[in-house]
Amino acid sequence: MSEAKEVTLVIDGVTIKTTSDTTILDAALANGIYIPHLCSHENLHPEGSCRMCVVGIEGVDGVVTSCTEKCKDGMVVNTKDETAEKIRKLSCDFMFKTHPSECTGCPKFGKCQLASISQYVGDTGRKLKANPINCKEDTTNPIILHEMHRCILCGRCVRVCNEVRGVGVLKFKKVNGRQKVVIDGENLKKGGCRFCTACVEVCPTGSIREYKEIEDARLGKTREEGFVPCRSECPAHVNVPEYIRFINQGNYAAANAVIREKVPFPHALGYICVHNCESACKHHYLNEAVSIRNLKRFAAEHDDGEWKKLAFHKPATGKKIAVIGGGPAGLTVAYYGAKLGHSITIFEAQEKLGGQMRYGIPGYRLPREVVDDEVQTVLEAGDVEVKNNTKVENAPELLKQGYDAVFVSLGTHVGARLPLPGNDLEGVKVNTDFLRDFENGTAEVGEHVVVLGGGNVAIDCTGAAFRLGAKTVDMACLEAYDAMTASDEERSWAEEEGVVLHNSKTFPEIKGENGHCTGVLIQSVGNFRKENGRMVFDKLEGTEEILEADTVIFATGQRPSIPMEEEKFGLALTHGNYVAAQGPDGETSVEGIWAAGDCVTGTRSVIAAIAAARDSIIAIDKYLGGEGNIEEALAPKQFRDPHLGKVENFGDKERTAPRVVPAPKRVAEYKTAGPMDYGFDEEMARCEASRCLQCDLRCDLAPQKFWNDYQGKEKAE
Amino acid sequence: MKTLTADVVVIGSGPSGLSAAAQASEDGAKVVVFEKANVSGGAANMGMGPLGIGTKHQQDMMVDIDVKSAFKEFMEYTHWRSDARMVKKYFENSADTIKWLEESCGVEFAGAYKYFPKSHETWHIVAVNGGIGRNGGAIMNKHIREYAEENGTEFLMETPAKKIVKSDDGKICAVIGTDASGEEVRCDCKAVVIATGGCGDNPQMIKERTGYEFQKNMFNFAIPGLKGDGIKMAAEAGAGTTPMNVEMMYILPNSDAGPDCIPAVFMQPNLLVNKLGQRFIDEEQMQNTTFTGNAISFQKDAIAFSIIDSKIAKYYMKKGVDVVNFVHHPDDVADFAEAVDNSIANDNPDVVKADTIEELAEKLGVDAEALQDTIDEYNDMCETGDNLFYKPSKYMRPIEKAPFYAAKFRPGAYGTLGGIKINEDAQVLTQEWEKVPGLFAAGTDTCTIYGDSYMFLMPGNTMGYCINTGRFAGSSAAEYAQED
Repeated sequence: MSEAKEVTLVIDGVTIKTTSDTTILDAALANGIYIPHLCSHENLHPEGSCRMCVVGIEGVDGVVTSCTEKCKDGMVVNTKDETAEKIRKLSCDFMFKTHPSECTGCPKFGKCQLASISQYVGDTGRKLKANPINCKEDTTNPIILHEMHRCILCGRCVRVCNEVRGVGVLKFKKVNGRQKVVIDGENLKKGGCRFCTACVEVCPTGSIREYKEIEDARLGKTREEGFVPCRSECPAHVNVPEYIRFINQGNYAAANAVIREKVPFPHALGYICVHNCESACKHHYLNEAVSIRNLKRFAAEHDDGEWKKLAFHKPATGKKIAVIGGGPAGLTVAYYGAKLGHSITIFEAQEKLGGQMRYGIPGYRLPREVVDDEVQTVLEAGDVEVKNNTKVENAPELLKQGYDAVFVSLGTHVGARLPLPGNDLEGVKVNTDFLRDFENGTAEVGEHVVVLGGGNVAIDCTGAAFRLGAKTVDMACLEAYDAMTASDEERSWAEEEGVVLHNSKTFPEIKGENGHCTGVLIQSVGNFRKENGRMVFDKLEGTEEILEADTVIFATGQRPSIPMEEEKFGLALTHGNYVAAQGPDGETSVEGIWAAGDCVTGTRSVIAAIAAARDSIIAIDKYLGGEGNIEEALAPKQFRDPHLGKVENFGDKERTAPRVVPAPKRVAEYKTAGPMDYGFDEEMARCEASRCLQCDLRCDLAPQKFWNDYQGKEKAE
Repeated sequence: MKTLTADVVVIGSGPSGLSAAAQASEDGAKVVVFEKANVSGGAANMGMGPLGIGTKHQQDMMVDIDVKSAFKEFMEYTHWRSDARMVKKYFENSADTIKWLEESCGVEFAGAYKYFPKSHETWHIVAVNGGIGRNGGAIMNKHIREYAEENGTEFLMETPAKKIVKSDDGKICAVIGTDASGEEVRCDCKAVVIATGGCGDNPQMIKERTGYEFQKNMFNFAIPGLKGDGIKMAAEAGAGTTPMNVEMMYILPNSDAGPDCIPAVFMQPNLLVNKLGQRFIDEEQMQNTTFTGNAISFQKDAIAFSIIDSKIAKYYMKKGVDVVNFVHHPDDVADFAEAVDNSIANDNPDVVKADTIEELAEKLGVDAEALQDTIDEYNDMCETGDNLFYKPSKYMRPIEKAPFYAAKFRPGAYGTLGGIKINEDAQVLTQEWEKVPGLFAAGTDTCTIYGDSYMFLMPGNTMGYCINTGRFAGSSAAEYAQED
């Protein structure tokens, strides 16, 4: 192949310098001269079949397709050549021969390339007798919807599926004498579709689309956000498909580095993250979501520390940041703050750092060595001092003591004891104290435990109770089974361990004898409704029942340990004693003080706390005179292979189950054995990673353009 | 955040927004347009042309209509439940607007036409390839846009406006939107024209504002993107609200993509019955989509069944249909029987075929006995004359020969009408009729001139209202923005 030469040509009177390997179409478009084109697409080999892009060339008889013809030195091109214009109109007519004559009911209206081209060409067809493609919509496939009566046979879907993806699940076929685009196989799954939706992306009409539910979820989002829901739904926007691809490529340390780019606790999150990514994963339309959290854990287990060489470390700034509370949010601010060159002092009320990762989530779910290791990484990130067993009484006071900025993240560590008769009997505990004692090895329970509440913390209380030797553990909550705030996964662990659930129950009284609790009165509820903005319900008469209990644990919410009187802590409060913080970065009522995490939002999740804290440290750094840039590239550059290949029944690959220790064993041996869940081994991880749909590949396809996209450019010439 | 500056920001680039932008920029204002979609023209890209009264085309075609007679007829029709000052100004300017479209924008018209036999020749059809074609609206919109661009208007495509910003003194000062890459775009300005085309794609808002329930008793075109953005933004900026309505018509909801012969045949003036198996209309009115839509809307479950027999079908397939209109005018309907079979094979729920009246009644969910009685009575009247609703006898063809065909018609609508209160200068008013300084609105977001029923006797009315009020808004906004 000869090398490309520099050439100069004239298109519509405009002199253009380009190279000899550029097509006339590309040269024109790059210079703001629009030539209608339909079968041509930036990511596909030119085909020259739609005849839309024909142009006249001086000294050449007839017309040529500008998407296939390369630029030559001295060429004089006329895009508005009379014959070319006629051919364009005729091509338009041919497309409308098969395409419905009415746009009504088409969800692509307003974003349809065919409509845009027909508007530009000034020919709306219908001169030829209509010859519609007679077929009904195909809604039998997941994710992708076919309404091929709108197909104009441009072939872009077939080409992208074959040429770019190497899948080939779409093909042209003659059906009853008519050329059609059909599935090569019984359906998409059996045909080996990878559900990458490249076909949807390139379809110029409303023929191949995703279901309304999926498309609606994308409204108002950017392409990147909309196409990759796992990443956009993660509060910290961890690049999920990128690290899963690294696992697929066998580069596990790189996968870990990708996660590290957004969060300082990849390993802990690998155990306990609430995984919004999995809820958003499009694989659930095929069967179940990709097991992303376990893949994260697998990646974190293969940390080789190489990423540390690429991590940024700024020179010391001489500025001091006080962090109140060393949980996930506080540690995140400490980590990035130290890397930005600031001096950090963490004030921690407990003996050790980690917050809910240590004192909330039980050790059998999140091994303490994991927390210790990741906390250590934070402490080594720069100038970080820890004052443990130190409670801060007043936040602004720290500014007076010489700190340049303060970050408040003291979490929610005070459990709520509901105001009901018997709540102060002996044997009645609250979640936070109980789990903290469990961590410290000082918790005790009787034989019959009742946990009140229906969230993940309640589930942890039941697990701890069993491990402490409870014979029975009952759990009562207002919510119906399907409405419980506990995740299905965590609830199923509790059920395996033997918890008896009592859903849709209120608990009006704790019964006692001789000052010690003996049981909980529960009663069914119904008819939930809103009155004056509050949820109310009816108690159903005759459903009263007593659950025997010598230990009762309230797991009905928790609050910050901040006094209700604003002047005491020195910050404006909201909803009782939560810190009032504004905007995404968590500005408080006092200049120089930011707040984030559970003490602002109420009890949420580790990942939400990390994400909010990242925004806060960006704001704090800017306040202290920095650029507020904490972005870092820790992973090597990834080769994102657009080629996926055909895999029969790919969509049916089942979600890989992690190695969870059977319930009796994990309860009995919790002190001597390791965690209750061993995650994935390498084979499992590779298998699970291969299920990923790689939704991010769609971002690499060129967005569809329209004639008016080139108008402004032309003016600028 | 990207920032721009303009005199006038126009929100939406359907015919109203395009005309506002073109007019304002022609008047010397610097204009920026925010548009949600990738294609300019909005719903009007499906349309064929605007209304004009007293135009050169009408003169050439010897059409006897003038502003005075049109105004009087219009006000009679609407029982004066309409802003007479606006109607007068709109009609009075409509001829100049046709001229403006031709001479300034470069639009070519094929002439002035009726929609259906009983209507007036007010519809100025945009020429497609020099003659009558369809969806010439798209071509017209391209010309208006190009004219606006020639005058310096800047278009931001795929950039929905989110908020109209007012300064502390209550004056409009900016519009904020988001572009395709997710970046916020702020355009500082002195005046804003809202022209977002109503809320046809927002079932909840339709229910709240009109009482109709989407896909229950209202099968309107849910044109993607018409979420009522402009109406909401206007209200936030202090605009008064008006009652809202739909542009009523009737449709076969699932037959958009199918062959034209199906709606064309079933819209012929044959037997139309309701769920009780009774006639409820002089079927000659079926050419008037507004009247028929109104009548169907009034029936049990808001549904009506058009019934023909094989003899009628065969007659149409051989000789063509009785009544044509501009939208349904197939050259021939010879493929009708085949098209029905295909539709049924493709599970189109709108179309039914049966060998007996009893089977037909069952498939339609109508009482068989009642339907048989109606048909017997109807067939008798085919000899004696329609003494129930006085349909002309030329349209009385008996229903006798199997197989029988039927189609299920529902009330439909192009979109919604009204929402933002304006005066005849397209100046937005508060609920107390005070001006909202710097805020103007045009097109279907504001169109309440029809009262309770779309004025279909003067076709091209909505597009005409849009372009004319767009021009009013554009010139008012430019004038306001350029004051000192």
